[in-house]
Amino acid sequence: MAKGKNKNSSIKIMQNKFYPVIFLAIIVLVAVVLLMYVNNITRAKILEQREAKIVNQLKNIFPDVDKYEFKDDIYIILKDNKSIGYAFIAKGKGYGGEIQTLVGIDKDFAVKEITVMSNSETPGLGSKITLSSFTGQFKGLKSSEVVLSKDGGQVDAITGATISSRAVTDSVRKELDKKIEIIKKNNY
Amino acid sequence: MNSLFTIFLGMVLIDNFILSKFLGLCPFFGVSKKLSNAVSMGTAVTLVMVIASIATSVIYNYILIPYKVEFMNIIIYILVIAALVQIVEIVIKRTNIVLYNALGIYLPLITTNCAVLGVTLINAQNNYSLVQSIISALGGGLGFTLILIIMSAIREKNELADTPKSMQGLPIAFIIASLLSLAFMGFNGLL
Amino acid sequence: MIETKEKFTAKKFWKELAKGIVLTNPVFVLILGLCPTLAVTTSINNALGMGAGVIFVLLGSNIIISLIRKITPNMVRIPVFIVVIAAFVTILSLLFEAYIPPLYESLGIYLPLIVVNCIILGRAEVFASKNPVLLSMADGIGVGLGFTVSLIIISFLREVLGTGSLEIFGKKLFAIPVLSQSPLTIFIMPPGAFIVIALLMALFRLLGVLKNE
Repeated sequence: MAKGKNKNSSIKIMQNKFYPVIFLAIIVLVAVVLLMYVNNITRAKILEQREAKIVNQLKNIFPDVDKYEFKDDIYIILKDNKSIGYAFIAKGKGYGGEIQTLVGIDKDFAVKEITVMSNSETPGLGSKITLSSFTGQFKGLKSSEVVLSKDGGQVDAITGATISSRAVTDSVRKELDKKIEIIKKNNY
Repeated sequence: MNSLFTIFLGMVLIDNFILSKFLGLCPFFGVSKKLSNAVSMGTAVTLVMVIASIATSVIYNYILIPYKVEFMNIIIYILVIAALVQIVEIVIKRTNIVLYNALGIYLPLITTNCAVLGVTLINAQNNYSLVQSIISALGGGLGFTLILIIMSAIREKNELADTPKSMQGLPIAFIIASLLSLAFMGFNGLL
Repeated sequence: MIETKEKFTAKKFWKELAKGIVLTNPVFVLILGLCPTLAVTTSINNALGMGAGVIFVLLGSNIIISLIRKITPNMVRIPVFIVVIAAFVTILSLLFEAYIPPLYESLGIYLPLIVVNCIILGRAEVFASKNPVLLSMADGIGVGLGFTVSLIIISFLREVLGTGSLEIFGKKLFAIPVLSQSPLTIFIMPPGAFIVIALLMALFRLLGVLKNE
């Protein structure tokens, strides 16, 4: 009959005025501790994923990179401890949200290659900005040429996705101008 | 200043909660049958969204980021919103009984309205400051209300139309929403 | 309320599971959880990811809530449910970010928004808080699968019509010759989502699967 006794005492606890508050507090506490634990497990992996993503992209643009430094939001690409180029992330507002583009440039500040890292553009339409048929057009362009052809530049917009195309082009050009100044000033 | 205006206009017309982000659909289709309900619901949602944005923005910028516990935002936000809705309900009940009668029944529903949690998450995702968060919540709320009003006006008229049986009620409401969404896509190139 | 000591049988488990998929299909019958249904169904990949996420959270929260149902004070039950659900959603979000980052990115804010998915809180309140653990598990899986099936149907139609092709886990399954050259892009944009769900709902009604309101 120990079970019955147990039940009685638990009913007593449950009738306590503060029981609901204490119960909720315990649940919150358990949840917080659990989340801390899961976060600790996944944190390293998450950071690693973010890092790996960038390193992979940098390797794609600069195949002979052996080290890179990160200063003033600029990735300085090093080979044998000499800088062979720079990379940075340009952000622009597209049709569906922010578009992040990784831009690689050589020592003469001409675009080496761009890669769209994240976008929420319309799949099948605006999302075509990720294709090499679009990004390939940027190769070798100087900052003043990074303009849509319908605005007098060198980049053909994707049919039906002018806003997305312009977002990439404009953000790349603006960021490029800013970074060139920083690079020149600090002599990276 | 320009960017605040951009955020506001973007939230009202372009990233409209209902038509382009699909947030707050459950109350949307529930309440948009009558015009008067739509106004009350829209006001209640906007009010809670602004207050929730203030609270969560302060928590995010001054507690979560400094202590590097951003991952806790979901659980903290939802608790803050639940508590706020309770507080707002009590305050309105004590101070303005007319307003309470108009908004009262909608308030409890708002806790699980994705639009409210949605706006706080959007603020965090974009790293908005306190002022920017308030503007974005205000824009989001007004956009929500605007569509709710337009929708309920159309649905009131639509009641008189001869709709095929299988399309009556929700399906035709979705079709109307679709056409509205199509119309609002025209605002896309605005900013 | 008197606790009915019903025996747990395999038959009941399957019945509960099937009920969730067909009779109480959350999207087409109960009209719940609309926000993610419309937002993430632009591609079948997203739909599968969201479906898996919801099943995980629903299963987890149903188990915990059912386990603590006898000691949960009635007064604070909703906040307790919300905390349990939010904890599972956070775990899911951390796991996705760590192990499937592309999916994490494409689901965006709709991943944390699983917290306010009416289906999950609804199952906690209506089912898990009143039923034993194993039945609650069956209910969670059933309703979760029902939700996933609905997402798959919608996203299949939207992706095929909107892009002219179908891609699962980065593999192109098929492409329709003419359609993929000039797809009906409107279907992957917001208006298309509304049209597809409206027509599907009407279809379910026409077939008599769905009762009138």
